[in-house]
Amino acid sequence: MQIYKILKKSNLDSLVSILSKKQKFMAPVSKGLNKFAFESVTSSKDIALKYIPTILAPKKYFMPQYETLIEYDTKEGQNMKAVVEYENMVLFAVHTCDLAGIQCLNIVFSDRPKDLNYLVRKNKITIIGLECNEVCDEYSTCAFMDNDLPNGGYDLFFTDLGEYFIVHVNTQMGDAIINDTKLFEDATVSHINELEKLREKKRKLFINQFGIDRQKIPELFDKSKESQIWDDIGNRCLSCGNCTNVCPTCYCFDVMDVQNLDLKTGKRIRVWDSCQNETFAKVSGGESFREARSDRKRHRFYRKFKYPVNRYSRFFCTGCGRCTRTCMAKISLLETLELLIKENKVK
Amino acid sequence: MKRPKIAFFDFACCEGCQLQVANIGEALLDILDIADVVEFREVMSEKWDQSFDIAVVEGSITDHHAIERIKMIRSRSKLLIAYGSCATIGGINGMKNNFELDEIRKEVYGKDYKYFDTIKTMPVHHVVKVDYFVNGCPIYPPEFITVLKAALSGIPYDVPDKSVCIECKFNENICMYEKGLTCMGPITRAGCNSWCINNGNICYGCRGMVSNPNEKSAKDILEKYKIDLNLILNRINMYNKCRELEDNEQKRY
Amino acid sequence: MKKQILNNSEYIIKKAKVVRTKKLTDLEKFFEISMPNNESLDHDPGQFVEVSLFGVGEAPISIASSPTMRNSFDLCVRRVGKVTSEMHKLEQGDEIGIRGPFGKGFPIRILEGNDLFFIAGGLGIVPLRSLINYVIDNRRDFGNVNILLGCKTPDSMLFGDEVEIWQKRLDVNFNCTVDKADPDWAGNVGLITSLIPGVNLDPDRTFAIVVGPPIMYKFVIKELIAKKIPERQIYLSLERHMKCGLGRCGHCQIEDIYCCQDGPVFCYDQIKKIRGAI
Repeated sequence: MQIYKILKKSNLDSLVSILSKKQKFMAPVSKGLNKFAFESVTSSKDIALKYIPTILAPKKYFMPQYETLIEYDTKEGQNMKAVVEYENMVLFAVHTCDLAGIQCLNIVFSDRPKDLNYLVRKNKITIIGLECNEVCDEYSTCAFMDNDLPNGGYDLFFTDLGEYFIVHVNTQMGDAIINDTKLFEDATVSHINELEKLREKKRKLFINQFGIDRQKIPELFDKSKESQIWDDIGNRCLSCGNCTNVCPTCYCFDVMDVQNLDLKTGKRIRVWDSCQNETFAKVSGGESFREARSDRKRHRFYRKFKYPVNRYSRFFCTGCGRCTRTCMAKISLLETLELLIKENKVK
Repeated sequence: MKRPKIAFFDFACCEGCQLQVANIGEALLDILDIADVVEFREVMSEKWDQSFDIAVVEGSITDHHAIERIKMIRSRSKLLIAYGSCATIGGINGMKNNFELDEIRKEVYGKDYKYFDTIKTMPVHHVVKVDYFVNGCPIYPPEFITVLKAALSGIPYDVPDKSVCIECKFNENICMYEKGLTCMGPITRAGCNSWCINNGNICYGCRGMVSNPNEKSAKDILEKYKIDLNLILNRINMYNKCRELEDNEQKRY
Repeated sequence: MKKQILNNSEYIIKKAKVVRTKKLTDLEKFFEISMPNNESLDHDPGQFVEVSLFGVGEAPISIASSPTMRNSFDLCVRRVGKVTSEMHKLEQGDEIGIRGPFGKGFPIRILEGNDLFFIAGGLGIVPLRSLINYVIDNRRDFGNVNILLGCKTPDSMLFGDEVEIWQKRLDVNFNCTVDKADPDWAGNVGLITSLIPGVNLDPDRTFAIVVGPPIMYKFVIKELIAKKIPERQIYLSLERHMKCGLGRCGHCQIEDIYCCQDGPVFCYDQIKKIRGAI
């Protein structure tokens, strides 16, 4: 049975205030210039309820940019303890594209051998989703990737219906918020009808720009390994690594040691890394296995549309559009896909 | 190393990097716990005439006397750290290499210019072997400490060969290009934690360029933003003029 | 920020001891390592370990000894990076961290009963030594054994003593070549590929196992195919930077393959179409 509740907009601030007292409360805030970021808030007035995808995806809370794996002490041999650092938090107003991104990361890090740092931290985070009532901008392809509507991955899911939010209660963790805060009311049939109406309206707004079925994509990539398109975007690429950093599903990392000043103790950390970096696939002998920018660009696209489909039966592009928005060289995911489709005459 | 001796030296520079070290604060006390600083002009008057374990060198090499002096320092030290843009990449001083040397001398010293020796600006590693590089104008103090720790434990330090954008995105800054400003971040080496951009400034490229910058595309992008090509070249050359010495003369030590 | 200890983290190292070291060449050093309580590493030939030195980092290193040696294992390390340079400073009794073994090694079960043709170039002898010694220790379980070894110069040859033993065995055919000879060298000079046509083998029942620098594979495989060895009977080990060993960090990825988990040993038939593999 689906459980729906109602939260009056006037009660949102109380919700934020109650929850932010118990743990960190992260929500999208405006940084100006139509840019947003998830940050810690204590009041609803700081929250940007209407926002386009944040600069960094919420993956930064699940696998932080810098993350301690081990604390070591070499005063007497190679002594260590493995640790996870975490914060209990509520992640509020996560769009459906980012929920899909978190689901991708969940799959990767729960694959064997399991990554406990990720898995422990993930369960300290309560996720409250927020529906997009409109398309954010021309860069998103969420409808094509089937991420314009909620597909799970949240504890509560909010849909803004004007004076109130209709809230889907998906987990016990979500239900606990309903019970503890006592701010929610039961939804009636008319509320649910309103939600249906919005979803109906969304079907006309959120359209597949490509005119082909998403399931044709892996096959398209099968045929496109040698396409000229990779050279074209490779020539334009600065290898700045913006696209991988902002991507909600890029999870490559580097592992390194950070010494304390006593030179005996320190920690082993992992840091976000990027397959677009010059040295990413270099071995210590000096050989670099993806030296050409075009090879690195191809690799990134295949890691979104082909390889994870082989491995996990899932696309690792959520359609959020961040990579296109952030690219100084204006390399567009949408255009690249369009060109590949055109080149291969896929229908 | 048993209580290693560290000596600081400067060549053609503004001594701003020394100031950064002097301002490190608490961590500096921790360094002094494990090492002896035997010479450091900006903070102490003592001089040291014997050998030392680590020479920390600021500034670029700009005349024959400097060549002799840096060779002497090198011969007295087990390790040499070049720090700051002037020492590591030639930096601002490299702009001298845009002109004929005599022209420069006349401009600076007037009619008696012939008495003043000068040579093309060189980073330290063009003259002597450098074991560690701390890029930046000025240096980013946390990176300096990281390098010092590496030097004290005898482990190499590689200056990151990826763009400043990497760290800038970690910090979730709004891209300067979004603000309509040009920024050298995409082709400049990371390691500064995007210090300038975090504080509202653009990246001037003080850490030198990544090993394989896509300069063509970088120029295309700036042109798209309707920026004069000369301005772009000036931007690139402001810190990176000495790069040409490496391309043309293969003078890298 | 809260902190929790993880007793089962995949990043936990085991504290191992350096039992013995030996300088092999200017660049390569040999280490015999024992795990805590002399427990067996229980690896397959061709697998690798992550060697950890806190403060420096970790590096993937091929295991050089046969699993038939149970109380310790061997590593042979070329000084090329941070960790390997630091490893060269280690001496007997020093402690190091070990994770692994990782990856898929040589397919021993498939090789059993068949003729084997080993081809090692340069450092490729290190992982191959593990398999060759395994085969020698279980010699009657395998058919004919041919070994070809190539290196740059006579003094860059690794495991000279052992090579001499292989050479003398009646149940192993051994041949080697150097790119550049010195005055004392009486053997072959030239690339390893030049020796392949002269090897007497039955292609139907021969499995070729090739390990060497990336550049070597293309040429060696061409010669093997010319010898009519089926593609599915050619195995090779790929060098990539396995940073985490867990199939995640992405550094060793080739297309959708993670070398650290799916390899480093691959069947040529499986990877020939994979762009960037060879």
